[in-house]
Amino acid sequence: MSAEKDNIIAFEHVTFTYPDAPRPAVDDLSFAIKKGAWTALIGHNGSGKSTVSKLINGLLAPDDMDRSKIVVNGIKLAQETVWDVREQVGIVFQNPDNQFVGATVADDVAFGLENRATPRSEMVKIVAQAVSDVGMADYAGAEPSNLSGGQKQRVAIAGILAIKPKVIILDEATSMLDPEGKQQILDLVKRIKDENDLTVISITHDIDEASLADQVLVMDDGKLIDQGTPEHIFAQVDLLERIGLDIPFTFRLKQLLQERGIDLPRDADKEDELVQEICQLNSKM
Amino acid sequence: MSKIIIGRYLPGTSFMYKVDPRAKMLVTFYFILMIFLANNWQSYLVITVFGLMTVVATGLKPKVFWDGVKPMIWLIIFTSLLQTFFMAGGKIYWHWWVFAISSEGLINGLYVFIRFTLIIVVSTVMTVTTKPLEIADAMEWIMTPLKLFKVNVGMISLVISIALRFVPTLFDQTMKIMNAQRSRGADFNDGNLVQRAKSVVPMLVPLFIDSLEVALDLSTAMESRGYKGSEGRSRYRVLKWSKADLVPLAYCVILTALMVIVRIH
Repeated sequence: MSAEKDNIIAFEHVTFTYPDAPRPAVDDLSFAIKKGAWTALIGHNGSGKSTVSKLINGLLAPDDMDRSKIVVNGIKLAQETVWDVREQVGIVFQNPDNQFVGATVADDVAFGLENRATPRSEMVKIVAQAVSDVGMADYAGAEPSNLSGGQKQRVAIAGILAIKPKVIILDEATSMLDPEGKQQILDLVKRIKDENDLTVISITHDIDEASLADQVLVMDDGKLIDQGTPEHIFAQVDLLERIGLDIPFTFRLKQLLQERGIDLPRDADKEDELVQEICQLNSKM
Repeated sequence: MSKIIIGRYLPGTSFMYKVDPRAKMLVTFYFILMIFLANNWQSYLVITVFGLMTVVATGLKPKVFWDGVKPMIWLIIFTSLLQTFFMAGGKIYWHWWVFAISSEGLINGLYVFIRFTLIIVVSTVMTVTTKPLEIADAMEWIMTPLKLFKVNVGMISLVISIALRFVPTLFDQTMKIMNAQRSRGADFNDGNLVQRAKSVVPMLVPLFIDSLEVALDLSTAMESRGYKGSEGRSRYRVLKWSKADLVPLAYCVILTALMVIVRIH
């Protein structure tokens, strides 16, 4: 059963309906996420992708606990294990302001530790380390109203690092940031993922963010409609258009070139590869 | 517009800023109590001098304290005049119907004026030198004995600290809503009082809905970060007594001793 061991998160037949909703937000969903992978969960608004993140750490419970099975890092999610599961998962939410609990940066990073009754002497060390890990050491005493959205998201990430989870979920975490702030957050997550051996799930409708992933899951109407590498998913123009998602710039450029009769090799999907191919093509002309 | 000052905290480095907020708060309460013990001109002199000592220790311009007193000045004057005109005793200088100006009336009016002004000045000393968050922490410490009566002090202090943290956020939101409505022709500055009050209503509704949304998001975030209620939490931010806090203690002892002496006198 080594395949199952490699999976840090597994959903089996998970169905969830919001109260008074006519149909389930998540409908008989089954998928698995490999340990140490970067997975993107994409889909348009209301496709159920954010509901998935809340199901992972038990903020929402499936309709039928007996039929649905959610396993996080070997722990089966149930009433009794919900707090254990939350030890494994940290979520960065969409709105930078609405997840900043503490009065200052250091206070906010300490919030998760306070909840776990970590002794103060230890807390001081962990907070200082986490704040400097995200490059906010100079702002430890700053109040949230003096920080930019990107800085607040970095603080949220520091708060998650402090509790040392196994999984970090970016729930539309960059959608309210400017392009620069977005890039900084993604670079930071990439770095801490490697340093701390984390599994990253980014829930997004930003296709550039999704193209960073090792694996992309596509959701529509609460169902998983496709999964695979970004190359595989973004090659399916019809599928993406049907669920209302843009195609990444590099992919679109390739399509437009193809329409003009300029064929590029199929595997040139990353930006630098594409630049190289185009340069080569240019030199041949 | 995003940097609004809650309370009237002014950053500074003087001695007053080094005193523990708990000490400042307790001394302020104690001082106000002492003001009511004053009963003759000597004791008023002592309490005034001690009040001015705290002002000097802040190292701030007198204008700061005048700004504290200013909004209340008419109330203070009105109360003092009431005392002056309704109190008859000693030598009477002028008399009409129930009103009189007498020597005792004048002195009492002056005393009330000093009391009132001193209370505002010492409260200002505390609020301008102590961050709102420190005041919240000090309040939590002072409320600690209430735990005996099953009051959830930890939760109250978390509520206060979150409320303080969200004041600038909601203020920003208010500005956004106001600007959005101004751009569609709303007028917040003209018209009589009733019209102005009416124009506030369409602003309050979205603000109210917004704050509910913030609260929902925040509770989700708190829960996902392991918040299970205020029991069994540790604290990151702690207040520590320092040597500087011996000064307010000595201040209280000397003030009390002097007040007792001059009252007996």
